Amino acid sequence: MKTRNAFQHEETFVQFIREQKERFYLLAYNYTKNEQDALDVVQDSIQKAMLSLDRLENVEYMKSWFYKIVVRTSIDFLRKHKRLHVTDDDTLQYLTPAQEDVYEDVDLEHALDELPQMYREVVILHYFEDLKLADVANILNIKLSTAKTRLYKALKLLKIQLQDVKGETTHG
Amino acid sequence: MDEKLEEIEKQYNEVPIPKELDFVVENALEQGKKKRKNRAPLWLLGSAAAAMLFTASLNVSPAMAQTLSEIPVVGSIVKVLTWTEYEVKEDTYDADIKVPSIENLENKDLANTLNEKYRSEGKALYDDFISEVDYVKENGGGHVGIDSGYEIKTDTDQILSIGRYTANTVGSSSTVMQYDTIDKQNEILITLPMLFKDDSYIKTISENIIEQMREQAASDPDKTYWVKGGGHPDEEVIDEFTTIKANQQFYISDKGKLVISFDKYEVAQGYMGIVEFEIPTDVLKNDLVSSKYIH
Repeated sequence: MKTRNAFQHEETFVQFIREQKERFYLLAYNYTKNEQDALDVVQDSIQKAMLSLDRLENVEYMKSWFYKIVVRTSIDFLRKHKRLHVTDDDTLQYLTPAQEDVYEDVDLEHALDELPQMYREVVILHYFEDLKLADVANILNIKLSTAKTRLYKALKLLKIQLQDVKGETTHG
Repeated sequence: MDEKLEEIEKQYNEVPIPKELDFVVENALEQGKKKRKNRAPLWLLGSAAAAMLFTASLNVSPAMAQTLSEIPVVGSIVKVLTWTEYEVKEDTYDADIKVPSIENLENKDLANTLNEKYRSEGKALYDDFISEVDYVKENGGGHVGIDSGYEIKTDTDQILSIGRYTANTVGSSSTVMQYDTIDKQNEILITLPMLFKDDSYIKTISENIIEQMREQAASDPDKTYWVKGGGHPDEEVIDEFTTIKANQQFYISDKGKLVISFDKYEVAQGYMGIVEFEIPTDVLKNDLVSSKYIH
């Protein structure tokens, strides 16, 4: 029975990957900022996922489960190649003590790129990849409240009218 | 959604998707499937272990082989038939996979072990071929070919050596050859280690092969092998052949000579194809358990 589940998962997984591959590439690219590296991350993520596919209990979790793998693989990759653009949370907190508006009024063209990774990833996953905030929190391994705070701050940094998006941040 | 956010999303989505993405993804899926397959489910491990135990008991003990050889057997007519054949013929896709089957062995365990192996490997080749074709078709077509079959190398009263080859023609071609040699009278599978008293045959055979490689390279400029003095112009870059594997592919010729076989690219450049070395029995005589098979 267990093997049969695994096989069904495999078919679903293959189909899911084929349909969504461009989304995963975009996400990986957003971390690595390099075509070849992003391709490597996609490749590694797929292989890792297939090896642990049997441990996925429910096909419904496949989307957030796989996004988590892509995010982790991307971050691992950056770490290994020491090209992590963004510092970890502690350092960031230290560098930006309690001043939420310290960033420049970023021009729209590079707005997303200039957003630190910890904020950027929340925006991408929640808005562009349509994941619920609870799933985003799970993918990034942070508390739901942290995810909310980061999203809130990201929007503030992007100077996006909070009223407009309030409904969207709470529905998830 | 906020206009600004929409604009940012648009930019996010505008990153160009490289052409290679399709290839990378399909390749990763393919590799992933293979890796999953290799991690055999538990029920399968049981039967694989049983099969291994069976061959292992034959391998470890030359004494066992000799005991078996003393049991008189009614001469059975062991033969090899084509059990099944997979054929595909389309414009640029062709497969011809012949799966052999060994018949009339009294030793059913041995027959089943070998035939099961032949069948599952044949099926796997066919499945791989089909998925390869599907992939190539989706990506604009190309040539995919596989030719697999068997040849009887030796069929004497005592010895049956069957060689199965697989030639893959995607991009550059590769060829693999696998042999099974059976003692027909005693119905046992002969392995390389069991022919010899101890492990020293590995060194004896390897040294002889290296010697033969050098001789061939010296007398025939068309032949090169990956050894020092093997005729390769740049010896620094070669992955030098130093030793055979303990279970290197081999068969026993109808003259009772040991023949060691190497796959394409294993010890020489691709144009050399599959290469074989017959080892003079004189060289081996101190290591052999008996002169029953090899003489």
